Amino acid sequence: MKHTLTLDYDLAAGWLRPFVEGLAEGVARARRCDGCGRVSFVPLRVCDCGKAHGSWIDLPGTATVSRRTTGADGDFGLVTFAGADTKTVARLDGFGPGDRQGAIVRPPSALPAIILRPEPKVA
Amino acid sequence: MDKMVAVLGAALTTFNRRKDGSSFRDWAAEATDAAIAMAGLERAEIEMLVVASESDFFTLQLNPASVLANDLGLSGAAAFRVEGGGASGQLAVHAGVQAILSGTAARVLVVGVDPSASQLPAAAMKELYSYSFDFWHEGATGVSATALYALSVQGAMERLGLTDDDLAAVTIGNRDNARLNPNAHLPRQHTAEEIAASPMIASPYRRLHCSPLSDGAAALVLAAEASVPAARRSAARIRGIGAATDRVHLGARTAPDHFAAKTTAMGRACTMADVTPEQLEAAEVYDAYAGAQIQALEALGLSSDIVVDLRGDAFGRGGRCPVNLSGGLMGQGAPVGAIGVAQTATCALLVEGRYHDGLQPATPPALALADTHGGVCTTAAVTIVGQGAAA
Ligand SMILES: [Zn+2]
Repeated sequence: MKHTLTLDYDLAAGWLRPFVEGLAEGVARARRCDGCGRVSFVPLRVCDCGKAHGSWIDLPGTATVSRRTTGADGDFGLVTFAGADTKTVARLDGFGPGDRQGAIVRPPSALPAIILRPEPKVA
Repeated sequence: MDKMVAVLGAALTTFNRRKDGSSFRDWAAEATDAAIAMAGLERAEIEMLVVASESDFFTLQLNPASVLANDLGLSGAAAFRVEGGGASGQLAVHAGVQAILSGTAARVLVVGVDPSASQLPAAAMKELYSYSFDFWHEGATGVSATALYALSVQGAMERLGLTDDDLAAVTIGNRDNARLNPNAHLPRQHTAEEIAASPMIASPYRRLHCSPLSDGAAALVLAAEASVPAARRSAARIRGIGAATDRVHLGARTAPDHFAAKTTAMGRACTMADVTPEQLEAAEVYDAYAGAQIQALEALGLSSDIVVDLRGDAFGRGGRCPVNLSGGLMGQGAPVGAIGVAQTATCALLVEGRYHDGLQPATPPALALADTHGGVCTTAAVTIVGQGAAA
């Protein structure tokens, strides 16, 4: 029996709204803990120190790739954004085999995707 | 020792891709009927049904527990669904154990089921699984489960000095065990060359390092000590359960290559059972990917020298602690809601000495471990099964 289901969601970003709005503009908006100053990107609502209060800050948007996986599923990295104390997973767009540095770009759709394009190493 | 729950009945259906027109409701019924028969109980004696199924999108059935209670002839029993991603089945076992230990119910049926193979195209399943990570960035970024596991295993390989041969050995071992398991989805004799030639999905993971999507069900009948029938005094006993979570984001973890939630969950289960990890004599381990099995064995503390034990025979069929005698997810298959229930069922059958010929150790293990997780070990759930009274 064939059956098709089409769902048309209207999703609310909730507390993640500044982060999601940042991504739409190509900006890496992170959360800095008001208690210990630790900066998380992607943002953590409650810091590892236990504080739930944080402030939104815009990072420069450059990132360093520490792990990378490639294959049929695409090109992805575990990356650290400059100014962040945590890593995050990002899609690597146009990275050559030796590229380790990138900068965030505006995603092609409304979805809050984290996408990096390579940028030349800073001397 | 007073905190024990008897496993009166334990059964699995075949795990595979169904092409026979049967539905998840048939598989749940098949596993349930077999488990109740083994338990020697009447349906009316079951006071609670706990269903594990990962997603309504798979079954296209919201509130599946009420539908299954009806199909299984359990009207009147309490019925609910437990969900925790890949760990759903083991968390459902835990819910059943907790109900019995709290005195809420004396006899509980736990059913795990999912149509992960035959109802939706593989691409749709892959997209749905991507929503099991944090949708708001990992999901939206389009990263697959395979890619996330790949990013996690790289650090473990570097730290432990593991090679592609070590990954291949997991696939080869589990699928070789599956050849002796008549319920298995992928009984195969693979070579390292064949694995190395399979398509790269997300480096270092190739197609043959990945577990399949499967259809199937598993069921357990659990009972309080006071409700164990005389004929089932030798039934296996659940002696310890433990669960824990880690940061959902790989990048927020101190060590993205370490399955820390598993270590915590195992510690909790061992404390409850009053045993140490070294005492385990068999383990069904969550091998969603070849390397995940190695990361699991390390995090569970089943070895003091993981590399020596991996490359030796400690975890093989005749070893000190045989791992994934069933074939694991890689060989037996992975109908996601059924996995944890099937693992605990397998452990119960092993300690009772009732497992498949050729896989059942001559001396049944005194203690066996069922290890399950969801996400890239974001939610961990383990169960320790021991022997019942001497027959
Ligand atoms: Zn803090």
